[in-house]
Amino acid sequence: MRTNLDRRHFLGLAGLGAGAAALAACGGPSTAGTADAVDTATIDFSGVKPASSIDFWTNHPGKSQDVEKAIIEKFHAKFPDIKVNLVTAGANYEEIAQKFQTSQAAKTGLPGLVVLSDVWWFRYYSNGSIIPIDGLVKQLDIKIDDFQKSLVDDYKYEDKQWALPYGRSTPLFYYNKDHFKAAGLPDRAPATWQEFAEWASKLKATSGAQYAYIYPALAGYAGWTLQNNLWGWGGSWSRDWDITCDSPQSVAALQWAQDSIYKDGWAGVSSKEAADDFAAGITSSTISSTGSLLGVLKAAKFNVGVGFLPGGPEAPSGVCPTGGAGLGIPSGISKEEQLAAATFLKFMTEPENTAAFSAATGYMPTRLSADMSAVLAATPQIKTAMDQLAATKVQDNARVFLPGADQEMAKSAAKILTQQGDVQTTMTELKKTLEGIYTKDVKPKLKA
Amino acid sequence: MTTRQIHSSSAAPADRPEPEPSVPAPAARPGQDRKRWSGRSRRDFLVFLAMASPNLVLIGTFTYWPLINNIYYSTLDWTLGSASATVVGLQNYVTFFAGEDASKVLGTTAIFTLVTVGGSMVLGLLVALALNSKVRGTTFARSAVFAPYVLSGVGVGLVWLFIFDPGYGVLAWILRGLGQQSPQWINDPELSLVMVITVYVWKNLGYCAVVYLAGLQSLPRDVMEAAALDGANNARRFFTISMPLLSPTTFFLLITTMLSSLQAFDLIRIMTPLGNGTSTLIYEAYLQAFGAYNRAGYSAAISVILFAILLIVTVLQLRFVERKVHYS
Repeated sequence: MRTNLDRRHFLGLAGLGAGAAALAACGGPSTAGTADAVDTATIDFSGVKPASSIDFWTNHPGKSQDVEKAIIEKFHAKFPDIKVNLVTAGANYEEIAQKFQTSQAAKTGLPGLVVLSDVWWFRYYSNGSIIPIDGLVKQLDIKIDDFQKSLVDDYKYEDKQWALPYGRSTPLFYYNKDHFKAAGLPDRAPATWQEFAEWASKLKATSGAQYAYIYPALAGYAGWTLQNNLWGWGGSWSRDWDITCDSPQSVAALQWAQDSIYKDGWAGVSSKEAADDFAAGITSSTISSTGSLLGVLKAAKFNVGVGFLPGGPEAPSGVCPTGGAGLGIPSGISKEEQLAAATFLKFMTEPENTAAFSAATGYMPTRLSADMSAVLAATPQIKTAMDQLAATKVQDNARVFLPGADQEMAKSAAKILTQQGDVQTTMTELKKTLEGIYTKDVKPKLKA
Repeated sequence: MTTRQIHSSSAAPADRPEPEPSVPAPAARPGQDRKRWSGRSRRDFLVFLAMASPNLVLIGTFTYWPLINNIYYSTLDWTLGSASATVVGLQNYVTFFAGEDASKVLGTTAIFTLVTVGGSMVLGLLVALALNSKVRGTTFARSAVFAPYVLSGVGVGLVWLFIFDPGYGVLAWILRGLGQQSPQWINDPELSLVMVITVYVWKNLGYCAVVYLAGLQSLPRDVMEAAALDGANNARRFFTISMPLLSPTTFFLLITTMLSSLQAFDLIRIMTPLGNGTSTLIYEAYLQAFGAYNRAGYSAAISVILFAILLIVTVLQLRFVERKVHYS
């Protein structure tokens, strides 16, 4: 055997280490026992001059790149001394979070303003990666009272405001009006899943579509939309910090979902994006984000109907979770940049801009005073999303506050909905996993 | 000439004993050593340094320094994005091996590596044999077979996702034509692994085919003709002449494809972003740090385990497999 290190082996070894390079190239943490929390007492912006340029990191939720550009152009006209660079920082919330966390670790390249989703902002808070914006709200006179209360309250913790709502959504029930008409069904969303189960066989028989209903793709936030089923049956992923996904109610809800696929045969599971499957005519109905509304209306070659999410045997209403993203300001940038970012944040969430954003995407307007008359005249379906906001419920802690919980929920859902796994066993395993995440990653960081 | 004779006549020169020197070499004196070092050797050494040091500095900075750092990070309980961390020693390794992750991830890695390496090499060899024949269109066929290897993994993954999509994919359309429902290739973890392996083998068999083809075309024609004259049929010639003489090619492919499979990332990331059923070691390391979990210390430990496995596999291959290689 040759033992000398020739060029090929030397380069091979070099390649082996390359995988580690990305992680190790990060700046690295301190092990001196310093806390992550932001020192909120020092966040005072009096006498600070806004920076001349900031980056805005977004994934353009709801294909919003054009409207974001238009709002930035308006901002430049009003504030010529602050340049906002629109940066596509990812294709979805996870990718933008990945870039943000990596920059945070590298201690360089952070943006002025960043899109943060419902499952990420709390982690940024607990890592000390974002600042509370209360001081900036006061200094810049941002009208917090004019925001939709339930949406702005989502970013409150320890009596501080950590972000403002931006591309906020709820799931919406989408249905093919032509299929419903052909099946002799009323032109509305079903009031409950039991009612839909009665409709499903008629739809399947007359529509020609593969499914009467398609469950949203499991890789695309299954934990979010399945809360509708769980809540309808009186179950949940968690109650406060108690994991309840294995309760009889939760198991019954998911057993019903499994039966709709395997026993009754009228439902399927989307592989990539349920809204696209629906627009392509593969299914007669689905649940997808309000942020998909404009895209579906453009793509579908049939009449699209939307409605509230169906209830269940235990809860006929109040079974819709909020979701979507907000905007936050990183802690690792200069005060000048933070002030410039807050100035842009205020502008971005002005009533006319939130209305323009809503018109372009289908996301809900976040300001109470937003004039939506023109938007609703053009796209009346948005009204359904706005009305449903009154019937929404705050998401389960397990889904939004436990790191990786959404992925674990999706894996469990895959086992139940695509492998016909035993529901009780799967949920018991999930509970164990979620409790482990809570104990290790969250509990130590919670304030007493 | 029989095949046995061919073997003996083409024994590797390395196996032959070196001839004894007729005159013992005189012992070198210290003064002579200094003279040699101060003369041509020193110049050679300086040239070596001038040529190698830029690369050594780059590799040291961007590979070995991060590697050492990564080993250090593997001893931390560190949430990515957090400015602070706690030293936990070997706890991350204990967590990995004591939990379910080890069997799941190592099992997936083993299946993925063995099937993709075996599949790419066996199919690559078969394709190479087909391309080695003198029929019309082989030039086009060679290009077509090699093309997937040079395509972007991201593009390949996206296209194949459309093919496998159970709703409107080509495969589903064909199956529906046959009265069958499409399996849940993307959502079902077991089928996801089958899907990713299939695409990986499709993408990489062209590389194996081209390398094998080069090996086949360099086989000594006289030996093959002699074997044919001796009455050896195609199968006999293939297994007793071609395969042994191709062993350096096979050995080279074994090392390169195995290292490549163990580090496969792009297809897995694009086709199964959750890694449900497809979490190999390298993808699990990515998911743990840069996915939803942000466990950077734990991820670093998985990276170190992957490094150790790659090192062991390479050393074992060099030690045991290379002995079987027949250098003509």
